[in-house]
Amino acid sequence: MSLKSLIGIEYTKIRRSKIGVILLLATCILWIPSIVNADLNFTMQAEGITPENNFFIQGFMAMSWFMFPATMLVSTVLINQTERKNSGMLKMLSMPISIWRLCLAKYVVLLTLAALQIMMSVGMYYISAAIASQTQEYNLLLSPLFVCKEAALIWLSAIPMLAIFWLLTICIQTPIVPIGLGFASIVPSVLIINTKFWFAYPMAYPFFFITSEYGKLAKNLTTTQAEPIPWIPTAIFITLVCVLLSCIRFGKYERR
Amino acid sequence: MNIIETKNLTKSYGNFTAVSGVNLHIPRGTVYGFLGPNGAGKSTTMKMFLGLTKPTEGTFSIDNKRYPEDRVEILKEVGSFIEAPAFYGNLSGEENLEIIRKILGLPKASVKEALELVGLTEHRKRLAKKYSLGMKQRLGLASALIGRPPILILDEPTNGLDPVGIHEIRTLIRSLPQKFNCTVFVSSHLLSEIELMADNIGILNHGHLIFEGTLPMLKRNASLQGFPTENLEETFLAMIDEDNRQRSGKR
Amino acid sequence: MSIALEWKKTKRTGFFLTFVAGGLLAGAVPILNMMVREKCYVGRKEPAVDIILNANWQLMAMLTILLLLVGACMLYHTEYADNAIQRMRTMPKRECGLFYSKCGLLLFMSIFLVFLQALAIYFCMVHWFAYTAEQISVLIYNFSYTFILLLPSVFGFLLIASVCNNMWIPLGIGVVCIFTATMLPTNNRWLSLFPFALPFQTYVGKDWNTIRMDLLAAVVESMLACIAEGIILKGRRALA
Repeated sequence: MSLKSLIGIEYTKIRRSKIGVILLLATCILWIPSIVNADLNFTMQAEGITPENNFFIQGFMAMSWFMFPATMLVSTVLINQTERKNSGMLKMLSMPISIWRLCLAKYVVLLTLAALQIMMSVGMYYISAAIASQTQEYNLLLSPLFVCKEAALIWLSAIPMLAIFWLLTICIQTPIVPIGLGFASIVPSVLIINTKFWFAYPMAYPFFFITSEYGKLAKNLTTTQAEPIPWIPTAIFITLVCVLLSCIRFGKYERR
Repeated sequence: MNIIETKNLTKSYGNFTAVSGVNLHIPRGTVYGFLGPNGAGKSTTMKMFLGLTKPTEGTFSIDNKRYPEDRVEILKEVGSFIEAPAFYGNLSGEENLEIIRKILGLPKASVKEALELVGLTEHRKRLAKKYSLGMKQRLGLASALIGRPPILILDEPTNGLDPVGIHEIRTLIRSLPQKFNCTVFVSSHLLSEIELMADNIGILNHGHLIFEGTLPMLKRNASLQGFPTENLEETFLAMIDEDNRQRSGKR
Repeated sequence: MSIALEWKKTKRTGFFLTFVAGGLLAGAVPILNMMVREKCYVGRKEPAVDIILNANWQLMAMLTILLLLVGACMLYHTEYADNAIQRMRTMPKRECGLFYSKCGLLLFMSIFLVFLQALAIYFCMVHWFAYTAEQISVLIYNFSYTFILLLPSVFGFLLIASVCNNMWIPLGIGVVCIFTATMLPTNNRWLSLFPFALPFQTYVGKDWNTIRMDLLAAVVESMLACIAEGIILKGRRALA
């Protein structure tokens, strides 16, 4: 069975799970304060950032530091639980399919849920920017090309983090420990991005990336810039190792 | 004297009626076999007795107590086992029973006794999630039997057991009224099984009670209606078939 | 049903381990922060407790509240995973008792967390600052206040967890609630009383009226959560 059809099957499994509702709810809550406090975007002279850039970047910063990683952790739990409940996993392992492909298919579903969450945020950004533009009588909308590019880069920067979450849930049988570890790893990312070793901590990547973008957009601010070396090789290495280990460990418990 | 009685007990889910105007009479100190094909409404009836689902119409009394007013009082007297066994997968068989024991305020020895009754003593330290289907079933039974409750409600207790296990559990259920002086309300979809355990039988089909009485009465009724009586399984099938025919005729 | 029984049910789930590890991590936040950025904090005029709490409490509170969410989800997950909840419902006890016992256990774990964090702050005070006995009493007041402000989160998360049988749903709702709490403007008096935003408050630098109102809100919100649980259980029984 091809990876593509396996991915299709994985989508069917999370049908009616209402994960979309939770992702949407989180996205709505993300942008409401931005609309309410839209006037604050005009008081950023000290930072030297334009109101439209500030409106965009503040929202995406709020998303990247906690909401996005946390909802992704919830999505990981969802994908894992649907399989473990009612011994679905045993059934899958007894099917004539490659276990590696099955594991990869699930990881791809996680990646698409991440993409969905980011796309929802982009959509909500345009809606809330349009509303705020009306209330502030100032055009707060940015070019779709720029916004989509930033969104795509956030998604790319999240891939290693998702690989770690995925590995955690596969390696640890009891659900509470990976969730606890996941949350515990998200919270300190705000501290880690200020250290020299941020590139070794994938949970901080999305937040680090957007913060460095903030530095680029705000003339008077200097934030650490994302240097491709050693970041990209480290990120690729972590992702590959985590995905490889996940594939090796996948279903090991059930096949004991 | 009946320990459980229902009056016009009905449960509907939207347009679908799972249990329809059932009047059951379960005498004290007997084994009552509740028979019916899959989906006949047996589990729903049992769930109503345990307060897991509310009757749409009608009433029932258990040891002269009524639901919902005396829910806790009823549950104090009832040991139950419904559908798939319910347990904590992360705990061992013994630990699972220990929890039930503490809630019911029973003496420590009752866990050991329950484990022995169902033949799980050897596996008491193993995690419940690692039990085989039959062992899970036995654990469920032990959690119903623990503390020797005066009333036992058992929903298809032999499901998933091997022939030896089925025989053991049947013998156990049969012996319970004498041993513990209790009343057993047990369901099954096999008449041959009920025949070996029960004093009284109630047959349910599509939510309707189509027969209630003793085995000899069932045989007599069947021969009067022209059903085969040599093999009870055939009698049961013929009765269900006839009931289904009448029902589709009515529709 | 008692707290001890609930404790027993969490065996081999990693519940205690998670709380110990999470508590140690939350406790490590101020210590690590002081080690790394000692110069930023030592030598300031404000009292030591104020400096340490202002610098670290947001992160510590975040970890604490996330731990409570995970704990609440886990406590009900063990009930739902293998249908044990059905056996509990057929026990001759009020179903509310199950909820209250779980609340008791989670409250006990919050005391444990609060204690670890207080200990960490005390260590920072002793190690890096000259502190007075008066500050110790402020520390004790602060963490007693924190514990009471955690009540609505304990009751609230357990309420959410008790309603859903798939663990990830209460987890998702909880995450959304915590995220909402972080997005609420701190200067708005009424919004800061949002149940899951309360634990982010500190005792230091607050007037008595504000503190009294926070405490009152925490107690009222907890009671409302208990009432809501009662209504939900009644409703579920009526609709079953």
